[in-house]
Amino acid sequence: MVSSGESVIRLKNIYTAYEGAEYPVIKDVSIEIKRGEFAIIGGPNGAGKTTLLETINGMLKTTHGEVTVLDMDVGSRGRDIRKKVGYVIQNFSFDPMTPFSAEEVVLMGRYGLIGPFKKPNEEDYKKVSDAMKLLRITDIAKNPIGKLSGGQQQKVLIAQCIAKDPDILLLDEPFSNLDLLTREFVSNILGDLAKSGCTIVIVSHAFDALPDTGIRIIAMNDGRIALDETCDPGEVENKIRLVSGGIPGA
Amino acid sequence: MLEFIISNNIVCHAVEAMLFASLSCSILGVIVTQFNVSSIGFTMAHAAFAGAAIGMFLGVNATAAAVVAGILVAILLGPVAEYSRMSTDSILGVFFGMTMAIAIFFIAYMQYLGKGMSASALLFGDVVSLYREEIYALALISIISIIFVYLFYKEISSLIFNRKIAEASGISVKPLYFAILFMIAIAVSLSLNIVGGLLLFVWLVTPAATAYQFCNSLKSMFILAPAIAGVISIAGALAGLAWSVPVAPLTAIMITSVFVVAVIISPKRKISYSKGY
Ligand SMILES: Nc1ncnc2c1ncn2[C@@H]1O[C@H](COP(=O)(O)OP(=O)(O)OP(=O)(O)O)[C@@H](O)[C@H]1O
Ligand SMILES: [Mg+2]
Repeated sequence: MVSSGESVIRLKNIYTAYEGAEYPVIKDVSIEIKRGEFAIIGGPNGAGKTTLLETINGMLKTTHGEVTVLDMDVGSRGRDIRKKVGYVIQNFSFDPMTPFSAEEVVLMGRYGLIGPFKKPNEEDYKKVSDAMKLLRITDIAKNPIGKLSGGQQQKVLIAQCIAKDPDILLLDEPFSNLDLLTREFVSNILGDLAKSGCTIVIVSHAFDALPDTGIRIIAMNDGRIALDETCDPGEVENKIRLVSGGIPGA
Repeated sequence: MLEFIISNNIVCHAVEAMLFASLSCSILGVIVTQFNVSSIGFTMAHAAFAGAAIGMFLGVNATAAAVVAGILVAILLGPVAEYSRMSTDSILGVFFGMTMAIAIFFIAYMQYLGKGMSASALLFGDVVSLYREEIYALALISIISIIFVYLFYKEISSLIFNRKIAEASGISVKPLYFAILFMIAIAVSLSLNIVGGLLLFVWLVTPAATAYQFCNSLKSMFILAPAIAGVISIAGALAGLAWSVPVAPLTAIMITSVFVVAVIISPKRKISYSKGY
């Protein structure tokens, strides 16, 4: 375990470009995020928020700069990092007929951790059922994932990442499918996780349901960091508005 | 291998060939259909087809040539897609057309040269004139397919569900993906001259599609698809040889008929009123 107060995510002058693209999407970004921090990444569409998350967990390669996560270099140990970092993807759509139950999908979060040639053991199943209880989705455990509502699917994916007992949780617009009460409910779960030492990084446009802790806002614009400060939950929306509100479509 | 049950050597070899071809193709077929890579399966089959036609034309072992061509496509697919900056699907389309053209060209040319008989085996299959080694190779790839699916079930299921989620959980997605491509290439190439290049898709797609009508989990599909394919293929081989009709086309018709029946009686098409009404 990384000790409290230490940076678990360290980006140093990084540039990230997509395969075949002429210009990098992320330009000269440097940030450090500490253990147990609750960070919200804001900014307009296309600012590079998703790209930043995938740079952190090593699914996208940087063209320049250093990315260190949990004291490991992303370039050489990306897979080890991903075993300890949960990532809830932004755009998912599942075939209604896909042959997997919600429970199986939650268990999938642990597959990398379990490693090849091994079967899930009792502990794995326990973590799965705990995560599903936490998100109150045990009643839909046996349902086919493709036939759940968007919000239910979203909760399954969040449970999937919590079931892997992550040191860091990256969530890309996890609230977009959730109603206000559920947003508050999930927000509080994430806030508690942060208090227990899990670093939370959320890309979000919804600021009406935030846990009652200090919130680090990182606002992005055009691949750069436009604002980075810590404030109370109530101030988040205005701060983000200052950065992205005046430049629609930028 | 099955001589102790079936005394007639020709019948025995035909049954073995059909059984092992159907096992390997249908198991990998579950991955092909669920992973939505049917186009990769088709392209591999055509590459193997073209390879076999070239091999036959040159007078080398057609099956070996088919395996080489299939593996070549598996290796080239990724890099060509990346290099040309095109989607894998477009590349597959290009490969598909090219290999089909090569195959047809050589088969037509061989017909012109009077070697048409052997070429027709490539199209429609032939279970009688097989080498013992081909059957052994098929048995081996069937066993490898079963072990592969058993050992990597977690990883395969996660990849089938969602590639991004699989990668994010810390699975090595790329090696797994290539391993799957290789297995398909080999299974398809080895089955080619038994079931025929034009009928190969029946073994690759239909048993999995049939199993899908009854299964709610991937695990059960991996069991039911080869069971269906194996039983029908053995029956097809025995019936075809007994009635002196071509084995592979007969079996293909049988497999497809079972699929049609499965669709009609599938529980997936029935609405249940037992809950909440
Ligand atoms: N797969 C891709 N290939 C090439 N370019 C991409 C790809 N994905 C995103 N981009 C480009 O990268 C830029 C940033 O995209 P990104 O998805 O990171 O934005 P975002 O901030 O997450 O936006 P949103 O709020 O809409 O989710 C965009 O200009 C987009 O065109
Ligand atoms: Mg995004």
